[in-house]
Amino acid sequence: MRVLIVHSHPDPDSYNASLCRTVAETLTRGGHELRVIDLYAEGFQPVLSREGWRAYEDAARNADGIEDHVAALRWAEGLIFVYPTWWYGLPAMLKGWLDRVWTPGVAFTLPKDGPIAPSLTHIRKLGVVTTCGASWWLTQVVGAPGRNLMLRGCRFLMAPRCKRLYLAHYRMDVSTPLSREKFRARVRRAMARF
Amino acid sequence: MRVLVLYAHPVETSFAAALHAAVVEGLRAAGHSVDICDLYAENFNPILSRSERLAYHAPDADRSAVAPWIARLEAAEALVLLSPVWNFGYPAILKGFLDRVFLPGVTFAIDNGAVVPGPARLRRIAAVHTYGGPRWAAFMAGDPPRRFARRILRRLFRPDRAVRYLALYDMNRATPSARAAFLARVAAEMKAL
Repeated sequence: MRVLIVHSHPDPDSYNASLCRTVAETLTRGGHELRVIDLYAEGFQPVLSREGWRAYEDAARNADGIEDHVAALRWAEGLIFVYPTWWYGLPAMLKGWLDRVWTPGVAFTLPKDGPIAPSLTHIRKLGVVTTCGASWWLTQVVGAPGRNLMLRGCRFLMAPRCKRLYLAHYRMDVSTPLSREKFRARVRRAMARF
Repeated sequence: MRVLVLYAHPVETSFAAALHAAVVEGLRAAGHSVDICDLYAENFNPILSRSERLAYHAPDADRSAVAPWIARLEAAEALVLLSPVWNFGYPAILKGFLDRVFLPGVTFAIDNGAVVPGPARLRRIAAVHTYGGPRWAAFMAGDPPRRFARRILRRLFRPDRAVRYLALYDMNRATPSARAAFLARVAAEMKAL
């Protein structure tokens, strides 16, 4: 499968960045074809600018300057996000990637008289690998906004039977070398089956 | 009260800008002093950097890059969030304000593993958002901005009253009268904040 990995963490020496490498290595071994976007490494600009907003609904112009990102998204059959969960959600860097790249004509269309229509129907598998400071139960209590944004919001724009995978290491602040390695093994197993 | 308005929209002629005017007018009419933080106009950089990440849990770290926004948040007694909802979430520039300014030692501290509020204390919180899609679509996606405001901000700051969540859904098809009614509602809610 053609898999796009989108990674957002400011520190290449972080555990989260190492998880991204684990994902890529395991998928490569499984024979998948990969593209990796490392948003911090490439200095992605996540703010949808005034010019960007004015061109937002114009499919002929709204990919200006981010053509590579749009092409990678259109190329993908599988999409995996690897990022830390901050404030129960996506890092601004990654949220801005959605704001700027998931535009009308790319991720969806807005018919004049109908509801929003998905355009990423070539994506059959969506995966999230994330690290959270909060516990699992607290995340449920507050309604898991980050997870919902990905697994329900973004997922809605993909193939009708798109499969979902969500792997989270909770309570990172009290994680141990053992808990981190157990989680890495879980990520590796899931990616071997991806 | 001193009210901090966190406003995020890139275009001055947008409906969000009209909402911004209604928010400020309503708050001033009720006698509040308003600090408008227009994130786009202030060129706020939402990217949490590597050095900020590494020093995240150290309250004595150099936070000079975001010190003015920390000071404004700590001076506020109430908070109003005002933005469109893009892809079921906040615009990146607003999410980045949370990432970079809602720091340990500013909005919360960890005491024996438990999160305690402050020193920033907010007695009232309101959120005003516009959605392109209809309410059912946001509901199906778990409405992340609503959950964030109603649950997370409430737990974090423990305001005196429940968070007021004012949303206009289906903006792409909203009639002029629906928009006008929402503007009036927002202004009235701000007067009663």
